[in-house]
Amino acid sequence: MVRRSLKRILLVEDDPDIQTVTSMALGSFGGYTVHVCGSAREALDSAASFKPDLILLDVMMPGMDGLDTLKALREIPATATTPVIFLTARVQPADVALYNELDSLAVIRKPFEPTALVETIHGLWARYRDQAD
Amino acid sequence: MKADLVELTEQYSTALREYCRGGGEAALLRAYQLGRRAVTGGAGVLEMAGLHQEALVAALLEMLALDESARIAKRASEFFAECLAPFELTRRGFEEAHAAMCDLNEGLERRLSAVLQDFESAQDELLEQKRMEKLKNDFISVISHEVRTPLTSIHGALNLLKSGLGGELNVQGVRLLDAAYRNSQRLVRLVNDLLDLQRIESGTMTFNLRPVDLRSLLEQSIEAGQPHAGQLETQLVLQRAPAGVRVRVDSDRMMQVMTNLLSNAAKFSPRGETVVVEAVRLDSRVRVQVTDSGPGVPAEFRARIFQKFAQAAPSSDRGGSGLGLSITKAIVEHMSGHVGFESEPGRTTFYFDLPEWRPRAAARQKAAGDTWSADH
Repeated sequence: MVRRSLKRILLVEDDPDIQTVTSMALGSFGGYTVHVCGSAREALDSAASFKPDLILLDVMMPGMDGLDTLKALREIPATATTPVIFLTARVQPADVALYNELDSLAVIRKPFEPTALVETIHGLWARYRDQAD
Repeated sequence: MKADLVELTEQYSTALREYCRGGGEAALLRAYQLGRRAVTGGAGVLEMAGLHQEALVAALLEMLALDESARIAKRASEFFAECLAPFELTRRGFEEAHAAMCDLNEGLERRLSAVLQDFESAQDELLEQKRMEKLKNDFISVISHEVRTPLTSIHGALNLLKSGLGGELNVQGVRLLDAAYRNSQRLVRLVNDLLDLQRIESGTMTFNLRPVDLRSLLEQSIEAGQPHAGQLETQLVLQRAPAGVRVRVDSDRMMQVMTNLLSNAAKFSPRGETVVVEAVRLDSRVRVQVTDSGPGVPAEFRARIFQKFAQAAPSSDRGGSGLGLSITKAIVEHMSGHVGFESEPGRTTFYFDLPEWRPRAAARQKAAGDTWSADH
């Protein structure tokens, strides 16, 4: 049962410019607390202490990619069931089919409108909460 | 009979006579060997029997010197030769059949070789097609990632600046930002259109077909397209749409189709003019049409207007990818529809027809009256 509201977002993204734009939009328009990680390693290290309500996860990252990161996050108790949204430029049909097979809430395609991002996430969160209830 | 064979048979005949006269193993062996060579060289059974007959008769005549015995011996050998005739005929039949089989085999070999050659060239062609397909997919993959990533930052930053996050800009700053934002939007559309095209061509675009109310869908599309039309100083108006008409479509894809048609119409419409949207019933189908009062589609462009990367004037600054109409056509056709246009200077109408969706119950009622089914 998920009753809590969306407050804390873990953003895993290796591109510093996309980090800036995304975290600025989430912070300024959504009022969320955003923790930015530039790699899978950083995300795995900070997941337990940050305790995110939602994870925004890039797919193409040096080292461990987003798909393996998701599997590793599921091994950590703090993020074992945390909803994950892929935020990715890899949206070929075969890629999307793969994301859908994984335990992800949704896929947001890059490029996106940062001003619309909060609304999109808000809608996805509401749907997630309804389904979990 | 060939000269060699004639000579061989003569030698054989002589050897036989010698054996009949004198006997002995050496003479028999010599006759046997000559006989084998004659048969191998082509002498038939009857010819060989003739030789045997002559040798036997000659030997008997020499040995017995009695006419009566010789006559009997001659008849016996004739009878013997006659007995062999069917075997000879069978052998010749076999030879003819063998020759015919050889001809047939050669023909089959030729045909098989031609088929194999065709197969190999078809295989080469298929491999080439696959190679080209892979190249295309690799290219789109590169576009997809390598262009999307920087575009996310550029478009995102411009979007945030336009939202006022960076503070107020002066008039020139606003104009520059608008130009940058507009063009980044154009790039975003291009990469998205490329992806849609790939999905359509590979058959991986998904369609969630459901009956939807056409009028409200058109109203939504006009509401969504109004801001863009406003930027171009045109207005979108839904002039008429029958109430209660439903079509079985994917709503998102329908919105995409309408966005393409409305955006095109607004783009080509003179400033201050109105783009008119109408929906009309045509028997079992419904036609949605979007009319603008722009300059019209140039005659030389009409035949390829729905093709990929088709633009009337590539250098124009109207800002399309040249993919919108081909995507529109593919989507509409996937929903059992048809697209078309009519154009003259000052009035261009793009339209698409879709089957009108009616519930099964209504269709059954109607089917009671005639055999026509409304449930498509």
